[in-house]
Amino acid sequence: MSCAGLAHAHAAEQGFVLLLPTDIYIAAGGATVALTVLLLLVLPPGAAHRLFAVLPLLAPATVRARHLTSLVMTLILVLLIWQGLYGSRDPLRNALPLMVWTGWWIGLVTLQGLLGNLWRWLNPWTGAGAMLHRVTGQAAPLRYPRRLGHWPALAGFAAFAGFLLADIAPTDPARLAVAVGLYWYAMLLGLVLFGPAWMVRAEAITVLMRAYGRMGALGRAKGRLALGLPGWQVLTRRAPPLSLAVFMVVLLGTGSFDGLNETFWWMGVLGLNPLEFPGRSAVVGANLSGLVLANLGLLAVFALALWLGERLARTGRGLAQALCLFAPTLLPIALGYHIAHYLTAALVEGQYLALALDDPLGRGWHILGLEDAYVTTGFFNTPDTVRRIWLAQAGAVVAGHVIAILLAHALAVRDGTDARRAVLGQAPLAIFMVGYTIFGLWLLASPRGI
Amino acid sequence: MNMKTTRRGALTTLAGAASAASLPLWARYAQAQTSEPIRIGFQQHSTGIGAAYGRWYGRTTQAAVKLINDEGGINGRPVEIIAEDDGTDPKRGAEVVEKFANQHGCDVGFGTLFSHVVVGSAPRAGELKLPYFVVSEGTHVSSGMLNRYTLQPGITDVRSQVIAMAPFITENLGKKVTMIFPDYGFGYDHRDALGPAIEAQGGKVLAKIAIPPSETSFTKYFPKIPRDTEVLYHVMVGPAVLTFVKELGEFFGGRGPQLFGFIDSLEAVAIDSSGLDFLEGSHFWEGMCRHQQPDESPYETAYRAAVGVDARGASLSDPADVSTYGHMFGCWETLHIIKAGMEAAGYRGHADRPALIEAVEAMTDMPESLAHPQGTKRFNGKTHQVFGHQFITRVQNGTLKRVHTTAIDESVYPDMVDYTTQPL
Repeated sequence: MSCAGLAHAHAAEQGFVLLLPTDIYIAAGGATVALTVLLLLVLPPGAAHRLFAVLPLLAPATVRARHLTSLVMTLILVLLIWQGLYGSRDPLRNALPLMVWTGWWIGLVTLQGLLGNLWRWLNPWTGAGAMLHRVTGQAAPLRYPRRLGHWPALAGFAAFAGFLLADIAPTDPARLAVAVGLYWYAMLLGLVLFGPAWMVRAEAITVLMRAYGRMGALGRAKGRLALGLPGWQVLTRRAPPLSLAVFMVVLLGTGSFDGLNETFWWMGVLGLNPLEFPGRSAVVGANLSGLVLANLGLLAVFALALWLGERLARTGRGLAQALCLFAPTLLPIALGYHIAHYLTAALVEGQYLALALDDPLGRGWHILGLEDAYVTTGFFNTPDTVRRIWLAQAGAVVAGHVIAILLAHALAVRDGTDARRAVLGQAPLAIFMVGYTIFGLWLLASPRGI
Repeated sequence: MNMKTTRRGALTTLAGAASAASLPLWARYAQAQTSEPIRIGFQQHSTGIGAAYGRWYGRTTQAAVKLINDEGGINGRPVEIIAEDDGTDPKRGAEVVEKFANQHGCDVGFGTLFSHVVVGSAPRAGELKLPYFVVSEGTHVSSGMLNRYTLQPGITDVRSQVIAMAPFITENLGKKVTMIFPDYGFGYDHRDALGPAIEAQGGKVLAKIAIPPSETSFTKYFPKIPRDTEVLYHVMVGPAVLTFVKELGEFFGGRGPQLFGFIDSLEAVAIDSSGLDFLEGSHFWEGMCRHQQPDESPYETAYRAAVGVDARGASLSDPADVSTYGHMFGCWETLHIIKAGMEAAGYRGHADRPALIEAVEAMTDMPESLAHPQGTKRFNGKTHQVFGHQFITRVQNGTLKRVHTTAIDESVYPDMVDYTTQPL
């Protein structure tokens, strides 16, 4: 199951992947990340930091323009929910599941991570919130309790992950319409009651998008829109608070489990026959437990690597402080894996999405001129295309880890540790990241049962 | 054979639909007492393990419905497909059946492929008295484990397919057979049906090699193949099947026994893919010949054009997109049987569902036609299972060439149930 049930257990594609020399590719990927670490040993201390230099471009747009686009998004969301409730029952024809799972979760999250904070323009709450504020003339009556931090957003993301990975039919249009509609309403209520702090701390989608937005090539520096190597914003921003740092770890843990739960290996753990997968209803409990365990496991291993590193480098930082400082370096890994994991789904469901947008209201229209167009999965059927797809996936994973290593090094050096001690202190984290590269590539190469 | 037949051209000539199709829409349904559509709930594997099949089942279904509607619908009423995704999940499947009956007001349910979803959904269809037309190949319908409201009139079942193969294997390929199959239900169906059938033909099954389903390398199993094996019968499925074929080729180096397989192993995979070269000269069962044969019937040619597949069974819009040709005709034929059944029963609404069941049960011989492009069939109203011709093809220069067509009688086995004795 790839995208929330938009699965493509395409035996041919996996069959050709199994024929690829993936062992060699995995070793090469791991070696690339390891070499990056070694390179940092010999390069001058500021080298990594200079890679993330920034080029200032334009002045940012006004808030009013963003509220306008946000209102347009709200309108689109309402139309989508209406389609979900009353449109086609087929999740591959209905615009709501396709827009949510393919358009937003696969597409927009990826663009946000690569480009920068597009969500600022596309958030479907802020415009409506501003309009309500303007109409009523009332400011938010309550103050957001600071001690809650980003924990409500983490709870929201956990619920989202549970829906994605364990719900029996997350793509069912009506079921999704109810979930999306209720969530939208609840979060608007939060925004009205607590003001914008609610959006950036308690609303899981906005927190997720802003976290990935830190990875984008475009961001703000010195009051202007600026361009740099993805990851530069991690270096220019303050370290996140603990609740947001944990959120970032959970982003990676959830993404990894999303891949892991499809593998023959996981089916073996559950004692299921991967060729006769009994369906999601049989693994609801197992997937929820796996999700929790995967995230706790990752948090423990990551914390252990940081704790060892701090001991070796003798920085005097506490574990929580180190976790906050280095958690953003997991973002490129999570993003790289997100792209890799969903690439095959995007190739197929992107076509369904195009067809749905061609006729968004199911009236037999062809707005995009896609009459008589058929969805194809032919690229899963030839060894050459499968190899190219697999290498693109592997490239995303490896690039994510290389950036993560560079960021971790730059952060350690910036924080005042001298270069030698920084490298020494980073050794456990580097080992963790090389190991995680191999794990990520193994996930892509493993036969899958859903 | 004209391979360039256009979709519209072929259909209008063949179906005698020219007059109907040229009428304006309002006139086509003019004779109907009500223009309320006939609603067919399509239980589709859009997601989950069956998604690759579900896509082609969907495409075939849409093509069949378009043809039926172009010809004037059913009893003068248009047909509407209400597709619900069952996630290839039995529990969800039962929910979907319930939605068809209670929420969408469907007249019938249709189209389920994967056996566990059929077995999970059929009891609910029986309780709700919703005629449930499955396209699953499973022997569960004729075994008697389901109910009177569940029928499989558009595709033959695995048991009949396997026993029909045995005479050809022993007469043409060899009498000493070794079987390699995955170690679970699907493999057991083949094991249990083929062994006795081979022995009945004077052959012998030398070894039955069961492979764990999660296996991805097979070289350690090949030495278990007895040296005097004349035919290797293989029914591997899943992602590792290409590895299986490649390793088998490396093991025998082109000097091994004759190979006989089921197309299920390579459904939706191009047979001329690199790595499958070793299959050259081997034989396959096919439910319908993926590659166009020289004597292909005009009905099948029209069917290819309607579904949008070329002479190699691949999508017209992408020659690399190979269809599940050996199975998907079942959707086309089943929809035409629903139409014929509703017309015979004078079906007007939900109250006529029992009459529809009885009308389908009364069906016997179904001649080859545009409604039955796979070939002539014989329906057994007692067991709710259809029987038909099976095709054996041989890979020659990367093309599946038909070398034998089995007779319907070769695939028939004794009745295991009489559903007509159950109350409606």
